[in-house]
Amino acid sequence: MKRALALATTLALIAPQVALAAEDEEFDPSREFEQHDWIPIHIGPLDLSITKAVAYLMLGSLITMALGIVLMRWKTSVDPDRRQSAGELIYDIAQTQVAEQGLPHKAIGRWFPYVATLLLFIFVVNLIGFIPLPLSGETFTLFGLELPTLGIYAATSSLAVTLSLALMSWIFTHVEGIRYNGFRGYFGSFMPSGMPPFTFKWAIPLSLLYALELLGQVMRLVSLSVRLYANMLAGHMLILTFIGLMFVLETVVLAPLVIPAATAFYLFEVIIVVGIQAYIFAALSAIYIGSAIEPEH
Amino acid sequence: MFDPVLAQADTAVDAGKAVALALGIGLGSVGAGIGIGYIFGSMIQSVARQPELRGELQGIMWLGFALCEAVVFYGLIGGLLAFVLV
Repeated sequence: MKRALALATTLALIAPQVALAAEDEEFDPSREFEQHDWIPIHIGPLDLSITKAVAYLMLGSLITMALGIVLMRWKTSVDPDRRQSAGELIYDIAQTQVAEQGLPHKAIGRWFPYVATLLLFIFVVNLIGFIPLPLSGETFTLFGLELPTLGIYAATSSLAVTLSLALMSWIFTHVEGIRYNGFRGYFGSFMPSGMPPFTFKWAIPLSLLYALELLGQVMRLVSLSVRLYANMLAGHMLILTFIGLMFVLETVVLAPLVIPAATAFYLFEVIIVVGIQAYIFAALSAIYIGSAIEPEH
Repeated sequence: MFDPVLAQADTAVDAGKAVALALGIGLGSVGAGIGIGYIFGSMIQSVARQPELRGELQGIMWLGFALCEAVVFYGLIGGLLAFVLV
């Protein structure tokens, strides 16, 4: 079973490259991350075109909803079968590992659905990024038939996607902070405790300290979005570069070397990185929201 | 745009960009490698001392691991920015 799985992944990894071998084009891994307008939708200055990332996001949200309904809502009973146990496992991770780690008790009811959705959604979007799907927007001809090229691409390897997700968490953080602590209370809580009162003598150091804390709040946004984006981009780039080495150097001799290496990275990404990154994003969102609701000082 | 396999240095500027990219990833990974080593080392020590805390520690460990690992990617993004924009 395990051997068959490894073989299947190897074959799946070769599949997207078959088309490239047929064409006389220079292979460049970064081309896989370009966005083309498939269905152009332009409303004024807004560009709402359906691109590869949008298609993957739509697929991801459909699968997330289906998972939630099938695993956790449909035909539930007190005596759980395997399907329901899987759903309960996901729920348990979202409850104990994510929500209770960061959110204070009074806010779990309101914010648990959000962080649990983040966890499941990012996990699904990351995971379908490693399944070769005919969504690459390219075609190749096999026996006179025009077939879509299988390709791996994760919507989360586009900065726009991760930045929107991070922006949601970031805005919720500050809205909740202001709602629970009041405007003055919340922005006052940025200042570390035990500081001298704001007098003329201390004005400059205290303002600098406060500016630094504000900068830290903005950096949260950057780190939250770039972490997920760069992880997925680097993972895909690594796999594509390893396989692409054969086509760049135009030799098949490298195949026994690069295919196992790419398979190893593929398995590392699928088994470890996909889950960890989803967990981290959801857990950090929970911690940020929780720390805004109940500031330490 | 970016060809990691055959980064061709036609001019000194291109060579500088390639060096920036390589340094960004390379030095970033040094720091993250040390950090990840510390995290897993401390985890092993803690579990050896108090095995009953493994479940609680695991969540913190993975959080620290991901925060550390992300540092490599900040270097990578910085290097890519130097490569593409400058």
